[in-house]
Amino acid sequence: MQGVAVPVSMVAGNSFIHRLNPIAKLVWVLAVLVISFATRNPLFLIALSIVGLGLVTMAGIWRQFSRVMLILLPVATSLIVFQSVAPAFPQPWTPIATIGPFTIYQEGIYSGLSLLARATSMTIFALVMIMTTHPSDLFTSLSRLHVPYVLNFMLAMTLQLIPVLQREIGVVMSAQKSRGMKSTGFGAVIPSFVPVFAGAIERVQQLSISLESRAFGSSGHKTSYRQVAVRPVDWVVGIAGFAFLAVCIAVFLNTGALDMSRTLIFPPALAIVLVAAAAVLFVGFIASAIWVVIRA
Amino acid sequence: MTAAADPAQELARGADPRSRRTGGDVAVDISHLTYDYARAGVRALDDVSVQIRAGEIVGVVGQNGSGKTTLTKHLNGLLKPTSGRVAVAGVDTAGKRVQELAAYVGYVFQNPNHQLFASSVEVDLGFGPRNLGVPEDEIAERVEQAIAFFGLEAVRGQHPYRISFPMRKLVGIAAIYTMRPAIFVLDEPSTGQDHITTRKINELIGRLREEGSTVICVSHDMQLLADVADRLLVMWNGRLIADRPPRDVFADRDVMAQTKLEPPQVTEISLRLRSRTGALPALAVPELAATLEHALARPASGGS
Repeated sequence: MQGVAVPVSMVAGNSFIHRLNPIAKLVWVLAVLVISFATRNPLFLIALSIVGLGLVTMAGIWRQFSRVMLILLPVATSLIVFQSVAPAFPQPWTPIATIGPFTIYQEGIYSGLSLLARATSMTIFALVMIMTTHPSDLFTSLSRLHVPYVLNFMLAMTLQLIPVLQREIGVVMSAQKSRGMKSTGFGAVIPSFVPVFAGAIERVQQLSISLESRAFGSSGHKTSYRQVAVRPVDWVVGIAGFAFLAVCIAVFLNTGALDMSRTLIFPPALAIVLVAAAAVLFVGFIASAIWVVIRA
Repeated sequence: MTAAADPAQELARGADPRSRRTGGDVAVDISHLTYDYARAGVRALDDVSVQIRAGEIVGVVGQNGSGKTTLTKHLNGLLKPTSGRVAVAGVDTAGKRVQELAAYVGYVFQNPNHQLFASSVEVDLGFGPRNLGVPEDEIAERVEQAIAFFGLEAVRGQHPYRISFPMRKLVGIAAIYTMRPAIFVLDEPSTGQDHITTRKINELIGRLREEGSTVICVSHDMQLLADVADRLLVMWNGRLIADRPPRDVFADRDVMAQTKLEPPQVTEISLRLRSRTGALPALAVPELAATLEHALARPASGGS
């Protein structure tokens, strides 16, 4: 029953991050999102990711967090492998090593690492927020900021449906295993996901009826049972997020977004080890996926 | 007057007409089973020991959260004991996967939507036996038998989600029936069902008994259990506090009060009149009628 789905839901706790106002956290997530897209400097983005991992430690959510991050691994390896031999980067490319028929380019490693670090930094900050914030608190805070109710509701509902769907997947997998379903790979997709999605659609239909019967969308001031306090420290953290974003943007504007694509030189040995390791992992993923499909 | 000529008459005389099936071999052997939901820090089962014999029909009752479903989920290995032992047909479930145990224990989930998925009822009925490696011609035969047994002829070609909920519930049971397990676990088979479907489920359990299956039925429907069960396991706070025939359990005011259960109305009436009729509590209308008739036919013994 356990461990069927990847839990992307709140992990209960009482850390500083947990107690922080959802809006302050949201400011940081949005700031990191903008910064990650504003630069391609892998060193900067890796540093940002390391800061993010510090927050994961502060929040004490490593176990649940690392399970979700595992999903990024196939993406990570494919980015490194494909970018290094065919960079998404303007020519000319500088070859630094060859492995068999493939030439590894300096710009490829740079590009692969920067795309990977970009995805990683955004994901880490977003996960820290999702895993330390109760959806209802986010909902309440956003409505205090006068975010339109319907928009706000859509966001909150999406976050709340994740744990519901996860539980549902667990039950359905149990039911199908009880019917002797052996595979957990491709062969399990239809028997497990048809009931989950059919159930989800039914649930949403019922939800819409129940919402309408409770006057969803009627005008007037909305009140909430949950109270989210805004403490001075929340203001400090939120404003720090804006300040960090502003400083980064200013630095990027003055330094060509910290472009180091021609100056950051990767030694051939490092490039070969990096690409070879990524390639082995990537081929391993593909092989295991094929094996699971065949076995199913 | 021959003995056991009329069960109701027998009851009126103070004898339990239900043949006490001692059953066959031990089908389920649970000893000192304890289970903790580690993540929630909850002890859901606390030192439960019980044996169920082949061919018995056993009801599991108790309030929500008393451990009924946690107990039954151990039978097909969905949960493994934190401590203690669960053996099904002599095999310890600890080392077995759910898929392996599925050949012996058929678990019918409460909500049929969780298990049905195929494009038609017929295809869905074949899913279980196909997983067990049953040959195709035998699968076809079993599907036909299940359609006849459960009365699914009219819906056999339809998508399981397009048929009515009561019908879907029957399809859910039928989908397990085609796997021919020796033991059926039914989780709340009559919840949300109309009277006709409940009667049908009642009848089906009787027919499973005739075929020699063991049935373990978790339910809040006391009348259903009064009708079909040989024994009731009463759960309270993760513990098994009673394991007796339904008549005894319903008559035990302490157990009933502790678990906040109420006997079927017929039984309740019969219990209230017990001092006047002298009969064992009735479980069904014919039984109550017979005990009353018997009491009324007796010459008045002085009282007004």
